Parts: sequence; C-alpha cells; structure tokens
Amino acid sequence: MKRRGVVSIGLLVLVTVLAAACGSPSSSTGTPLKGGTLTIDNESGTLWNCGFNPFNGNVSFLAFGPVYEPLVYDNLLNDRKVPMLASSYKWSSDSKSLTFTIRSGVKWSDGQPFTAADVVYTFKLIKSNNALDLQSVWSVLSDVSQQGSDQVVMTFQSPAVPYFYYIANQQPIVPEHVWSKISDPVAEKNDIPVGTGPFMVKAGGCTPQNISYTRNPNYWQSGQPYLDKVNYPAFTDNDPANQYLASGQAQWGGQFIPNIDSYYVKKDKANNHYWFPPIQNVNIFLNHTVRPFDNKLVRQAIAYGVDRPKVSKIGEYGYQPPGSQTGIVIPTFNDWYDSSQAQKYSYKFDPAKAQQLLQQAGFSKGSDGIFKDASGKRLSFTIYSISGYTDWTASLQVVQDNLKQAGIEIKEQDLSHDDYFNHLFVGDFQMAYGSLSTSPGPNPYYELRNTLYSQTSAPIGQTAAGDYGRWTDAQTDKLIERFGATTDSAEQHSLMKQIEGIMLEQVPVIPVTESVAWYQYSTKGFAGWPTPSDPYAAPAPWNIPDWEQVMLRVHKT
Amino acid sequence: MGYLVRRLEFFLVTLWAALTLNFILPRLLPGGPEVALRTRFHGRVSPGTIKSLEVALGIHTQQGQLQQYLEYLGNLLHGDLGVSLGFYPERVTQVIMVALPWTLGLVGMATVIAFVLGTLIGIFGAWRRGGLLDSVLPPVFVVISAFPYFWVGLICILLFSITLGWFPQAFGSSSEVTSELSLPYVLDVLWHSILPAFTIVLTSIGGWILTMRNNMITTLAEDYIRMARAKGLSPTRIMFQYAARNAILPNLVGFAMSLGFVISGALLVEIVFNYPGLGTFLLQAVNNEDFSLMQGLFLLITVAVLLAVVAADFLTAWLDPRTRERA
Amino acid sequence: MGLDVRLVAEQPAIATEAARPERGALHIVAGAMRSNRKALVGGVILAAFVVIAVIPGLLAPYDPHAQIFEQTLGPSREHLLGTTGNGQDIFSQLIWGTRESLAIAVVAGLMATVLALLVGVSAAYLGGLSDHLLSLLTDVFLVIPTLPLMIVVAAYARSGGLAVLIAVIVITGWSYGARQLRSQALSLRNRDFLDAARMRGERTVYVIAFEILPTMTSLIVANFLGAALYAVLAAAGLQFIGLGNPSDMSWGTMLFWAQNNGALNAGSPLWAVVPGLCIAMLGAAFALLNYAFDEITNPALRPKPRRAIEPSSRSSKFAT
Repeated sequence: MKRRGVVSIGLLVLVTVLAAACGSPSSSTGTPLKGGTLTIDNESGTLWNCGFNPFNGNVSFLAFGPVYEPLVYDNLLNDRKVPMLASSYKWSSDSKSLTFTIRSGVKWSDGQPFTAADVVYTFKLIKSNNALDLQSVWSVLSDVSQQGSDQVVMTFQSPAVPYFYYIANQQPIVPEHVWSKISDPVAEKNDIPVGTGPFMVKAGGCTPQNISYTRNPNYWQSGQPYLDKVNYPAFTDNDPANQYLASGQAQWGGQFIPNIDSYYVKKDKANNHYWFPPIQNVNIFLNHTVRPFDNKLVRQAIAYGVDRPKVSKIGEYGYQPPGSQTGIVIPTFNDWYDSSQAQKYSYKFDPAKAQQLLQQAGFSKGSDGIFKDASGKRLSFTIYSISGYTDWTASLQVVQDNLKQAGIEIKEQDLSHDDYFNHLFVGDFQMAYGSLSTSPGPNPYYELRNTLYSQTSAPIGQTAAGDYGRWTDAQTDKLIERFGATTDSAEQHSLMKQIEGIMLEQVPVIPVTESVAWYQYSTKGFAGWPTPSDPYAAPAPWNIPDWEQVMLRVHKT
Repeated sequence: MGYLVRRLEFFLVTLWAALTLNFILPRLLPGGPEVALRTRFHGRVSPGTIKSLEVALGIHTQQGQLQQYLEYLGNLLHGDLGVSLGFYPERVTQVIMVALPWTLGLVGMATVIAFVLGTLIGIFGAWRRGGLLDSVLPPVFVVISAFPYFWVGLICILLFSITLGWFPQAFGSSSEVTSELSLPYVLDVLWHSILPAFTIVLTSIGGWILTMRNNMITTLAEDYIRMARAKGLSPTRIMFQYAARNAILPNLVGFAMSLGFVISGALLVEIVFNYPGLGTFLLQAVNNEDFSLMQGLFLLITVAVLLAVVAADFLTAWLDPRTRERA
Repeated sequence: MGLDVRLVAEQPAIATEAARPERGALHIVAGAMRSNRKALVGGVILAAFVVIAVIPGLLAPYDPHAQIFEQTLGPSREHLLGTTGNGQDIFSQLIWGTRESLAIAVVAGLMATVLALLVGVSAAYLGGLSDHLLSLLTDVFLVIPTLPLMIVVAAYARSGGLAVLIAVIVITGWSYGARQLRSQALSLRNRDFLDAARMRGERTVYVIAFEILPTMTSLIVANFLGAALYAVLAAAGLQFIGLGNPSDMSWGTMLFWAQNNGALNAGSPLWAVVPGLCIAMLGAAFALLNYAFDEITNPALRPKPRRAIEPSSRSSKFAT
C-alpha cells in the first residue's frame, strides 16, 4: 500500500512540475537558446559498430530520424501528422492512390538539393533490393512514380489506408546521388551518412562506445535544431545505464528503472521526471487450435481469473498500467475506447465467476482445486515467456497464483527470444505471454490487426506473419478489412467499437498489462521535452522516428 | 623428440576438437540462424526479403551438414570467421578487433600486476616463516579465492562507485573524451580500468602467493641454500638469486599459461562493469543469437589458451630438463 | 581470474605412500577436522548449511516465492533482510535457496568426481593406447575454456533447468580431477598387492573397485571438495547472467533477480549482497576443507608438528 502511495505522489509531483515547466522561459520568451550537448541514455544491448545504413534492421534506429527523415511524421501517440519531406499529401477517392507533394528548398547534408526523384529512387531501391524493405511496403504498393516536378504518386494494389503510417512515417528517404553509386546497398555500412535531417555524424564522430550527432547547419527548418550536439553512449546492460542517468551524466532516458522514485527522481527532485505513455499491450496469447481454448467460456474464465492491477503492481512496479480486455491501450487511445461496452463486461479479478464459467463449460473441480474435463484431463497448460524478461516472469508468477484460485494451472517455460517467436510463428504453443513483435501504430488498429486478422495467419506448422493464436473469425476479418479501406474517421471509430465488442465477448486474446514507452528526462539545463500536456512525440529515444521531433525541440535553458 | 611429437599431437587434436565443437554447438540450437533472422525482422518481412538476407549473411540452409563442415574448415584456413548477424555488415574479425584491445589491456595488465605482486608477497612470506604475511595471508586468500568474482565486482561498485563515488561504475572510457591517443584519453582509460582491474587482482592474487610461497619453502630446505647461508652470503642475495630464482619456475609456467586465459579470464567482470571487451561481446552474441560472432569468440579464446599451454609446456621443458626425461 | 583458469601445467605427480587401503571417507573427514583448524571451520560452515537445507520450512518465516509484501522494504523485525523488488521476503529466499545451491554443489561435485575416477583410473590401469587416448581426452577438456563453453552450452539449453545446469558443470569440471587421479593410480599400478590380486585372477573391474579405489579415498574426497567448489562458483556465475531457470530458488538466481532489478542502486543492496555472501561462504567452506585435505593427501608435505608446510600442488587452482 505504501508503494502505491509513493507512486501516486511521484505522479503528482510530476504533474505539478510539468505545469510549472510549461510556463517556463522556453515558451514565454519565444526564441529558445542555442547550443548545448544533450546525452541520451538508452540500453540498446549493443556496442556501436558505427554504421548508419537506415535499411539495416540492426542500426536503422540510430540513423532514421535525426539523419534520414520520413515524408510525414505521424505521432505514435495520437496519429497527429506533421509534414516533413513532403509538404502535403492527398488520398484518391477510392483510397488506392496517394500523392505526396515534395518540399522544396531542402538540401542534403553534402549540399546537393533534395528532389522528388530522391523519393522515387528510394522506393525503387527497396523494391529492387527487397532485403531493404523492412516495412514490407511493396506488399501493398504496385507503383511509385514522379508526377511533374514536385509530386510523387504511390499506387496501391488494394485500399490500404493504414499503410500510410509505414510509407510516410516509417520509411527513411535517401539521396539518389549517393546511393546510386553504392554497389551493394544491403551490405553498405554507411559510416558517414548523407541525409536531410537536423543532425549529422561526422568522420570520427562515432566510437564503439559513443555516437556524437552534431548539428546540421543547413537544416531546412530554419533556426532548428537548437542543440549543438547529442551524445548517444552504448549500454549493454540496464543497471550501468540507469546509474549513468541517475547521476545526471545523461538527460534523456529510455529504459525501465526499478523503484524509479528513489532510484532516479529522488536524486534531483526538482529536475528529474518521467512519463510512461502506454503504446501497446502485453497479452496472454491463446492457441485457438488447442482444446479447450476453442471454448469461449474457458477464455472468459481466464480473463476473469487474472488480477491485472496486481500483475501491474508486482511485476511491473505499477509503471505499466493494467490492460483492458477491449484491447484498447488507455489512456493513450482513450479516443477509441468504448467504456460503456467495457463496463457491461467488467473484467475484474473474480475467481468465483471464473469457476462458475468453467462449470458452465462442463468442467468439474478436482480435489487439488484444478478443474478437469469429463475424461479427467486437468486444465493445466504451459505458458511460454522469453528468458531474461524478468518483469514478465515476475508478472507470470502473479498470474499463476491468480489462475490457481480460478481452478486453472499454468506453468511458465522460458524460451530464448528467437525460439519463443518461432514457436509463436508456427503455432507450436498452448499459451504465450508477451507483446507482438511488430512495432505498434498510432491507433489501436495496428495492434489488433496483427493479433486478430486471420489473413496474416497460417496453418499450424507454417510461419504466420500475424495472428499467432490462429483466431479465425469471418466477422473480425471483415471489420479489419473495412477499417483499412476507409479514410473516414467516424466510420473507423464505429468499426473499432465492433472489434472491441468481439474482444470483450469472444476473448480471443487477453491483455494483461500495457507496455509503455520508458522515458525519463531532466529539466536541469534543458527544456522543450514532450510531456503529457504536450505529447508532440512518443518520447522514448527508441521511438523511431519520433525521437527526431524531440531532438528538434529540446533546447538549453 | 617423443616429447615434442606428443605435444604436437595434443595441440592438433585439441584444435580439431575445439573447431568441431564450435561447428556443432550452434547447430544444436532449436531454430538456428534462419529462425534468428526471421524473428529479428519480426516475421513481417516477406520470404523474399529473408532469402536475400540469408544470401547476404552467407547462411546456406540448403547444403548438407558435411559440406557445411568442410566449407567452415576451409574458411577458417583463410582466417574467415564470417559475417556477424548482430553487427551486419561487419565481419566477425572486425568486431573482434574492436573489443580485443580493451580486454588485452584490462585483463593483461591485471594479470601482470597480480603475478608480480603475488610472487613478491610469496617470496617474502616464505622467507619470514611464521611472520604476518605467512600466517595470515594464505588462509585469507583461500577464502577470497572462493568468492564469485563477479560478486566481488558488484561489491566494489557498491562501495567505491555508488557510495563513495571515487570511480566510474561502467565503461572503458568517458564519452566526452575522444578516442585519440592523447594524455587525457589514456588517463581516462586508466581511471575507468582501476575498479575492474582491482577486482581481478584481488580474486586472482591468492594463487600466485600460495604457489610461490610453497615452492620457496620447499626450495629453502634444499642443501645448496644451507650452503649459501654457511658461506655467509647476504640474505637478500640468497632470497632472490638462490631460492626465488629456482622456486619461481611453477609460477612462471603458470604465468605463461594465464596469459592465454587473459582473453576469457574476466568475462563476467567485463559484463558487470559494462566494459567494451570480449566478455561483453560474447554475452551480447549469446543474447542476440549472433552465431558467427559466438563461434568466432569461442574459437579465439580456445586458440589463445591452446597456444599458451603449448608455450608453457615448452617453457617448462626448456627450463627444467627433468620434464623432458620424464616424458 | 576466470573460473576457467585451472592449472593445466604438468602437475607434480602426487604419490601416496599408503600402500594399504585407507579408512573410510567419513573417518578421513572427521580426522581432518580434529587435527586441522581450517578443516574445522570449513566443516562447521558446511554443516550449518546442510542443516538449513534440510529444514528450511522450520527456519524461513514466509513462502519464498509469495509476492505478498511491500516492495523493497528495508530490514525490520518482520523482514530480517527486507523484501525484494517483487515483494518477496529476502531472508526466506535465502533459507530456501540454500537447498538448491547446496544440491548443485554436491550433485555436480559427485558426478564430476565419478567421471574423473572412471577416466583417470581406467587410463592408469589399462595403460598403453587406452591410456594415451583417455589422457588426450582429459587434456582436451582441460584446455577448452570452460566459462565460454558453459555460457554457450547453457544458452543453447536455456530452458532446460537444473539438470542442464548440472550437466554443463560436470562436463566442464571433471578433467582436472581425472588427471590427478590418473597420476596417483599410476603410482599404484605396479604395487605388490595389485600384482597379487592379478595373480589371483581377479577381473579388472574388481581390482579397480576393491583394490585400487580404497587406497585413494582421501584423494577422491579432496577431489570431490575441489569439484564442489568449482560447481558452486560455476552455478553462481551461470545463474547470475540468467542462464539458469529464473523461477528456481537458489542464491545464484537471487543474484540474477537482484541485478535485474538494480538492487544496488534501487535501495535494496542487501538483496544482492547477502546471497553473494552465502555463495562465498559455501565456496570458502569447500575451499578450506580442500586446502586442509591437501595436507593429508600428500604425506610428503604433511604438516610438521609446529610449522605447517603447505602443499603446492593444488594451490594454483584457487587462483581461479
């Protein structure tokens, strides 16, 4: 109980300080100060190899954003769009073609002008070298071509409106005059990247232990960025990274800090803050081809048999809030959340109700308190988790205890990261705990499509791209397809409500907690940070390309 | 000659065993490199993309095991350790070259310090039988050597870094100092190495002390020492030129060998201190399932040890003729 | 340095003067503890841990897994060592963790010793090509760096749990003892009483089991102690970097959890300090016993009435 008090006081302090910070010099004086060096503190588990190829999945998170920019920035937290290399865009009425108007006056960091031809070149490049197409944009595109001097038209195979996020926001644009001379773009290291972004990495600016991003003096947004330099030290382990942040050597953190109020905030109460906006769910995935998970009542019983607030508190220090059975990540996507439906079902921890549902489904309670089916087979399942993810293990210990009260036995088994996902891909599991391996999107559609859309699934034994639990439901598929074909927000909202209804009634998957963007920041000497009242970007340094927005706005005080 | 042949046989068999082990281990893993690739790119990437990446990484899933084995041995002959999955497009040898100097510097230095210091303490301890050095240190170091050394590192961090704030908690150098070879940089590197080096010295010095002390005691009982004393030679001269010189052989051999273990010797210390050496890379390779890097590091470590062992063998044979006869 | 820096150089052959079967292992331990203070201290620590491992339920106030308390509490009367970041009682975890930590040490130590005996004594007794090949095998395992091998093997069998952990330790830990045991068995091979046994037409297995082994009891015990020490440290190292099963309750996994929750920095340093201390004490117990045993195993260096002469043969092993 005391802990909970501590946490809420921490949040209170946070909110009041933020309110104060909002009225601080930064916004009132108008022109932020220039100069200064900001240090990022993010455990990436690797030392730097000083390559910045934005198409290389290992290092794109270091290049895409501050160095290579997207066409349009699409805020992960609220879907607000900021034109970047494209000054505007327009969908055709049938949602099958998308036209970008390319910004003029932008220069590459080597002084060459940026043109629409560069955009077309980039998309052709990842088409001809499909190892570079990390977002699989060519699975929906049929053509990309230049129109006039400053327009690029993208034609789709079928309406795929949500792919805007991947095409406009997740695709770095590279210069044709540089990349056309690279013989093997897949194996390209790109140690001196030439981009349009606000920062550059100069020769000697990177060592295995640190990357120095220096200001691009010719950046197209005049006056920005304010910072002279951003350091990004390499951390392979959480603890040294957290200590580095807590001691004030870095100002912008992006990882889990245990007991953050005493570990971090207390070290400098006036300046050390955190904000953990939720971005997706941590779920119990059920394999619907495994009996009795094909029984709706059993799935509902499990949903009633998990004490989500306790999992959140014990397993995640309360930093990752309890999940909602609607599948909507709240409060981030409150706008999409149908509270009246959710209240009707009210999935609170209720072991008695869970037991009642199991009885209704034809199971009987054994002498050990675990339910059995008619043939005497106990409701006992193995749940996979990823080894090394200790917060999940701690969470699962709570879930295990919860479900035991409901009459269901689960046993945790940890697999290595790759082995775990392989089991999910091919459907070789009973239950699994975790998040989708894909990046989340700016509204609930992206995660729910990946979780529930049976067209992305595959028969047991074959690799599925999504829907690992093999949830097959014509109604769900139809709703998801209709959502993807419309640009009308009202219609999207009404479709999402129906998907929430399926989540609540059918329980195809059980969100337990939400996973968050870990974000700590120090206002000692710096201002302009994203905050709950000004969520101009997903705030973690690993939110790509959102971190560019932060690097553009943060400034010295 | 028989001795040389036997050592050569040992060298070759061990090398072959290590190479083969190195080949087999990654293939025992559920999944293997293809699965690692698929999960790395989140299963969203098309099969065509995966195929292209496999080709780029030199993963040959369609070949037979024997063919892969032969190709692997052939590549090693050319010093080709393959491409690192986690550091693509870097080659494994490039990745290793980045980490190697740090490990050699830190652990190499710590090994030399522990050896010199431990040997000296051992000499003086044995010379003054029953003195403070002699009666207190051996049992103390027997106990300390039973401590998990990564834990000693944690305690050092707690005491000297977190509580007292004397030394940095992590890294091989500060990010503010550029890595040019300049005085501030060298000082910065030394500054960062003190705590991990201290941890290594503390947990390894006991062995040198005990070995040296015990050999000294045995040597001091020899007739020629009595002779020297009877001749009235100065104690310092007897201690170093007569006794220590003869008693140091086992320690020297041990030192030659421990140089081979420098590379693998302090993996966990590096991990605890976030030190950019081979240990950190090995754990990272294991966690990222970066097979080629794992293989390359394991190979490097094994070969280093093997070379050191052979060197130690020849050192023994050269310094102590009895060994040759025994063999 | 590493757990893996184990003396590989030519060992001075440890010859025992004992030509007759020795007393039983327990007698030897008891005798050692009576005559040697180091052995006494080691024995007492070990005995204390054994008692704790047998009756943890009586000593621990709470269920070690139960996540029912406030998180990261400091020490108090209710929680002698405070609570973990997951709301568990650290003292109860420590008590319950004794069992598995000790079990790993004893089981892995025993298995490594048995394997060492099998290979070492067979090599010595069979001689010739068999000896050559078995010795080569031993040398190969001596040289292959154990910690990296352990990390790699344990990574491959990550979810295998305790059995895999023990197997890894045994595979990487038997060769040192095999070499020692071979040396001693070699010195016995041509003794009269063995010749006599052969003359009687006893089978090889019989001769090894009933004639050779009893004469080597103290070296075998010493070997077990060394292997157990190795197992304690190896298990702790592997579990610390997360290569054990984190749901198990042992000191190594406690350290893993503590490290993962930043215990040193996040206000619960005892969580990391105390299990490490227990590992150190258990290791020290085995080391002290082992150290004392060197003096007994090697009669040539047996302590003189006043001035004990420490044996040199095994000491370098402690450098690890």
